Formats: sequence, structure tokens, C-alpha cells
Amino acid sequence: MAEPPADQLDAYRGDAGLSHGELWFRYFELGGMSTALEVEAFLYGALEPTRHDHDVIAHALNERFSELGGNHPVPYVEDSEDA
Amino acid sequence: MTVGDGPLAGFAVGSEGNQAVLSVRGDVDILTASSFAACFEEVIAKGRPSVVLDLAGMDFVGTAGLAIIASAVRRLGASGDHLTIRAPSAIVVRFLEIMGLEDRYRLEQPRSGSTSLGPEQTVAVSEEHEATTRRVQGLRRVTAVPADDDVVDGALRLVVALARATVGGADGVSVSLRRHGLLGTVAASDQTILDMDANQYATGEGPCVDASVTGHWFHVESLDHELRWPAFTPRAKKLGINAILSTPLLAQNQPVGALNIYSRTPAAFRAKDQELASVFATEASAILTDAGAGVSDEQLASRYQQALRTREIIALAQGMVMERDGVGQDDAYAILRRTSQHSDQRLRDRAEDIVASAGRHDPNLAAGR
Repeated sequence: MAEPPADQLDAYRGDAGLSHGELWFRYFELGGMSTALEVEAFLYGALEPTRHDHDVIAHALNERFSELGGNHPVPYVEDSEDA
Repeated sequence: MTVGDGPLAGFAVGSEGNQAVLSVRGDVDILTASSFAACFEEVIAKGRPSVVLDLAGMDFVGTAGLAIIASAVRRLGASGDHLTIRAPSAIVVRFLEIMGLEDRYRLEQPRSGSTSLGPEQTVAVSEEHEATTRRVQGLRRVTAVPADDDVVDGALRLVVALARATVGGADGVSVSLRRHGLLGTVAASDQTILDMDANQYATGEGPCVDASVTGHWFHVESLDHELRWPAFTPRAKKLGINAILSTPLLAQNQPVGALNIYSRTPAAFRAKDQELASVFATEASAILTDAGAGVSDEQLASRYQQALRTREIIALAQGMVMERDGVGQDDAYAILRRTSQHSDQRLRDRAEDIVASAGRHDPNLAAGR
């Protein structure tokens, strides 16, 4: 299955009410290794995240959606493969 | 004379006959709101009793700008002075209507030869605007000029008024904010709502307090069946409130307060209302984050320490899964993440459980080695 486009992640970020800085902080907290600038570039589609990076960002967003009373709407790349 | 100017907005103070005119160009957002307020004050002082606010060149107005306009309309209307708003955008008109100020000012359509744009130009400007916004977001984070509390409070009062008008079943709305370590109400739609908040601060419990502390939302369908807050619940019932929706507000990712929506009717809030509440809480959080509100340096430092600790715990659990299942680093992370998702546990909590359970067999792991 094709990977979800990066700008979709940025749309989810907007819906979750997180600034780029806040999202990076949560990503960092969950073990992410990329810099804030790199994460911003992933979201704008200027850099391609690794599948792992993509999923850590997705999970940071999903945990935020949980806090707001929602489910986990952001899809994971690792779970969408025909493995 | 141009008083406040910059790449994003310009405010020109001039006069027409015996009227003072403030012409606005560009974006009135949280970055430019304080210059806008200062220029507006200057024009009001100079122009009384007749002031014109010319919005023909304004591309964008954010909540802070709307709050400033609404407050000026209210003030000038109350003192019997005349405010004319020239060429306001639909959103300005609509906001003033929601605030009950539609008959407090005179609306003037743009004069011929003013800067109104044709449809094609408008599209080009809005694309340009979007690009500018994206570029500015980085800058905004770095500069993070703290807006003064008055501008922030005005914007939050507007959020309260909007939430009150649009969330179905809402009988009252408030915003609680932690300032100088104390939780207080910044904006509330009426006295009962102020009392509802005050009762929670006094007892130290309730959905507003819990949302402000934990950063999680709380929905009370009906206080008739509520057991979580034994001291607060009877006080709330006495005030006639039955259902509560408290959504956390975050500034720089740290819970600093809550948007509280109250109803006299049990089960008044539906899924759509919860979504709306979350939209308004998001807006309020963005205002607070932009203003650099509510978070002290010590709080930020402790948040970083906590983040580092969380990383350690997750890395530790990840290492244990790698060893246990014979998988690589990323696969181990995916396994952890999936179990966290399926058990509806935060990744940190899941990792802590794994580390703790293994620690019972191996004291080195429990010590975080």
C-alpha cells in the first residue's frame, strides 16, 4: 500500500491543535531522533521520513487525539503493509 | 503618518475632515495585535467623538484582532462616541453580531478607488498569504513575543462567547487558566458559571481542575451519577448544573487551563458538541501558545526532564522486546506501539509496565540499567 502523503500528517497536526514545536517535543519524548527542523520538513513534504519516523510522529498525534477524547485516526505505515 | 509597520501589517493614522482614521493593511494576528491596539488607542484619543476604522486593506484578522475591535466598539458605543467601520470583512461583521454589538457602530461600504480586490487577485493574495503564514510560523516560534494579558484575555472572552453561541446544549461557558501557580477564571458567560468554577477551585476537585492538571478532557453526562468529585458535585447541583464538558488548554504542550462548558440538562452534549469544544479549546491553546502564556521556565525545564525520562523508559522497554523476540530496533518499537494502541495505554505507560514486570525478575532492569 502507498504511504500516506506527508501533508496529511500536517493536516492531522492542525486538527490535533499542536504547533510544529509541540509535535516535535512529543515525538522527541516518544524516542524520535530527528531534529525539530527535520520533523517540520517531513510535515511539509520537503524530506521523506523513514517509516519508523513516520510512525513515531503518527503515534505522537494519536496520543494527543486520545487526550482530546478521540480515537487513533492517524494511520501507521508499518501496519499498512502487505506483510 | 504610519505608526506601526512591518512585513505583515501596517497601521496608518490619518484624518478626514474632523474625523480620525485608522487604516489597516495586511494581517492582524497575535504578532501584530499589540501594535494594532496601540494605534487604535491613539486614533480614539485623537478623534473622539468621531473615529473611522478603515479595514479595506486588511487581509486577515485573528481572534486577538477581533477582540480588540469588539472592545473598542463597546467602549466607544458606551461613551456615546461614533465609530465607523469601513469595508469590514464578513467575519468582523459576524463577530460583532455574536457579541451583541451590531448596532453600536456604523458600517460603511468601501469607497470607489479603494484597495478592494477582484476575484482573481483575491486568490493570488490568499495563496501568497498561506505561503507567508507558513514561513512566519517558524519565526513566530522563535520570537514568541509574549502578548500582554489584556490582549490574551480579550481573545479568550471571544472564544467563550463563540462557544456559548455555537455549542448545542451549552448554558454557560468559561475559560480557566493557571497564572502564577493559581487556577482562576479568565472569562465566563455569567455569574452561575463563575460560581461553578470557584467551587472547583475551592474544593480542589472537579472536571475543570482535573482537565487543567492532567491535560485530559472530562465529560460528565449527568452529575446525578457522578462519584469522582464528592465535595464539588453537591455544590454544582445546588447551582442547577447537571452536565459538564471540560477540555484542556495547552500552552507549549503543557496543560495550563480548561475550556468548561456547562448545561442544566442531563446528557446535553453530543459527539458533535464535543468536537466543537475541542475546536474551541484548540483555538484557545493556540492563542496561549503564541502569547507564551502560563508556562514558567521551571515548568519547561521539568517538562524536558520528564521527556528525557520517558525516552529512557521507552528505549529500555524497546531493548527488552528486541532481546525477548529477537527483532531489530524499529520492529521492537512497532511491537511496543501496537500493544500500547490496542490496550489504549500511552506508550510511556506501556513501556513502564514492561520494565516493571521484567524488573521483578531482574533488579538491574528495574533500576533502569
